[in-house]
Amino acid sequence: MTATPAVDAPASIGGPSPVDHRGSWVPNGRMIATRFMELRKRRGLMIALILVTIGIPTVFLVIRLLLHAFAPKTYGPAGGYDIFTALVPGVLYVFGFIVAAALGCTAGTVDLTEGMFRHLVVTGRSRLALYLARIPAGLAIILPLVAIGFTVVCAVCVFAAPTQLSYQNVTVPAGLSHSAFDTWAGDHADEVLCGIGYRFTGNGPSPEMNAVFNSVCGNGPGGPGFKVAPGGVTTPVASPAEIRATAITVADQNYTDYSHHFLSPSNSLMIKTGLWIELEATVGFVVGLGLGSLLGQRTVAVIIMVILELVLTPIVSRAHLAHLINLQRSVVGLAVDHLEPSALGFVFGGGGGPGGGNGTSQLVPETTGQAVLVIALWLVVWTAIGAWRMMTRDA
Amino acid sequence: MDTALIDATSADAGPDSEWAVETHGLTKRFGDNVAVDDVELLVPRGCAFGYLGPNGAGKTTLIRVLLGLTHADAGSMSLRGHPVPSQRAAALARVGAIVDEPRFHSHLTGRQNLQVLAAAREPEATGRIDASLERVGILHRADDKVAKYSMGMRQRLGVAACLIGDPQLLILDEPMNGLDPGGMQEMRDMILSLVAEGRTVVLSSHLLDEVERTCDAVAIVDQGRVIRQGAISDLLAGSSVTIEIECADPDRARSLVAMTVVDGSIDISQGGLAITLPGGTGREIIAEVNRILVEGGIPVYRLQEIQTSLESWFLQVTSRLGESE
Repeated sequence: MTATPAVDAPASIGGPSPVDHRGSWVPNGRMIATRFMELRKRRGLMIALILVTIGIPTVFLVIRLLLHAFAPKTYGPAGGYDIFTALVPGVLYVFGFIVAAALGCTAGTVDLTEGMFRHLVVTGRSRLALYLARIPAGLAIILPLVAIGFTVVCAVCVFAAPTQLSYQNVTVPAGLSHSAFDTWAGDHADEVLCGIGYRFTGNGPSPEMNAVFNSVCGNGPGGPGFKVAPGGVTTPVASPAEIRATAITVADQNYTDYSHHFLSPSNSLMIKTGLWIELEATVGFVVGLGLGSLLGQRTVAVIIMVILELVLTPIVSRAHLAHLINLQRSVVGLAVDHLEPSALGFVFGGGGGPGGGNGTSQLVPETTGQAVLVIALWLVVWTAIGAWRMMTRDA
Repeated sequence: MDTALIDATSADAGPDSEWAVETHGLTKRFGDNVAVDDVELLVPRGCAFGYLGPNGAGKTTLIRVLLGLTHADAGSMSLRGHPVPSQRAAALARVGAIVDEPRFHSHLTGRQNLQVLAAAREPEATGRIDASLERVGILHRADDKVAKYSMGMRQRLGVAACLIGDPQLLILDEPMNGLDPGGMQEMRDMILSLVAEGRTVVLSSHLLDEVERTCDAVAIVDQGRVIRQGAISDLLAGSSVTIEIECADPDRARSLVAMTVVDGSIDISQGGLAITLPGGTGREIIAEVNRILVEGGIPVYRLQEIQTSLESWFLQVTSRLGESE
């Protein structure tokens, strides 16, 4: 230690300065900023966060862009609606939760494990304020990262979307209204009748419908010149009017499904989806923070969070256990799944969100109100648990 | 914790209290083990106060209780006149402390660690960071990561962390750990300079020599209890004095001295005598011994009064003496 000017003596020793609110439970901006800095400077953690939230979708999409660029006939466009609806719930949602939880667990434990907790307590600052400062600081890291990764996905899915919509292997103009779709079907009856599926009702196709399909596609009873009845009676070839009418019938039945197929995701869908994965990341961070603070041990907390997301939630979300239905509904992963935009695929595989996608949700039923309540309770309860442990822990 | 008791008994202590630290009946248990046992401690303001005890005596536990790092099971306490924990924020506003080994975020620089701590203090604390780093002599390494710091540098950073709060009371737990002799000298000088500025420094240590050189007053803690406290000069005043004599013919010298003036033990040492006198013996006895020897025809080459050291006294009054026996 060198002979240097002393730190100025205090003007008053009676207590905190007039602007010193260290007894308050509300963290100040400097606490949040320095906590943000402390987390951001963790190089290994930040690299992992960036790799998972931005790197994985970016690498996936870049590979698709390159493949399509070099072999466009073999590999379809890199982006588009289908890629979006598969990539977001399949990658960003699940991995976003896990890395957010890892960040939360880190924020909840490092002061303790690295010996800074007692330095902070000795400042006289409210322990609750010390805890609460971590929430905005951590969210200020994870939410932008998730947003950047999501933006990359959106950009590729919009700007590298296919120029033509391939619906059941039939090239169809995108975004047609119901009547326009019917009209287009009438004008392209051959492609519609031979390419787009049709669900027969009752006892199967009527003879007239059979005749149309056979006369156009020639692949079944009633084909041109094919005798369908004893005695050598030949089914007459369908008239153009009949063919057109049948094509319109097929189109009519498929319109609902067609209307869920787009060249690229809409702005509305992207906004809803972005908010949804940010909600999931927020839940992951806040719960991870609380659990980390409770356990005081990062590794164990992260493992528990991964098990919650990858094992417990998928099981609880799909297994319909009558006696445990309310317990299942209290799992936050199920609640967040219920808020998934309906156009997206199921998280953890399958197709269609709650009531969306293919229209058949496999999730344990839960109303939107219940889902929102469950999420809010998880956020509040885990914050309370983490704060309580921090306030009562020996430093 | 018996919060009601603590608050009630300390309610009359105000910021104008003459004591920087005041505890009454302070007790902390870990299961059946009583780490802090009914401690009565009074630390005057504006002095360097040594808190001494053997390992496991409860020094660090008492500090942790005082700072609110763990709760007390009974008793009352106040820091700078503010009862703790009821006025914890006010009490700690001008307190800096190092407890155990100072540890920091190793991935941050020294300056960034202080920024984290300053953010939890008053707004002015951030402005004191550079001055604090300079005072402890690590300003030139302020932007290096703490992971690259030596143990001694971390100790210095710990002191700097105390100084950013412009403390009126510093509680330093084994601050000399990890310091080389030069660093210990600098730390000693800094503690003295802090006291000279009117601050109070509580120095917990087992390095008795350092405490004796640095502190004005001490408390001796043993098995969780404060068994002695007061000014060092007062505590040592009642202890024995040894006179070392280098002379010819030690056997005859011993006989001469034993027959005349000495009310103490006389041992023959290498090249002379060692006379241990009871506490309170006047200094004139030294001249009297010298006169007897010279008049007895024994050449005296050297005669020195050895005051009992704090270390010797400490061993006498703590259980460590009993263990060594």
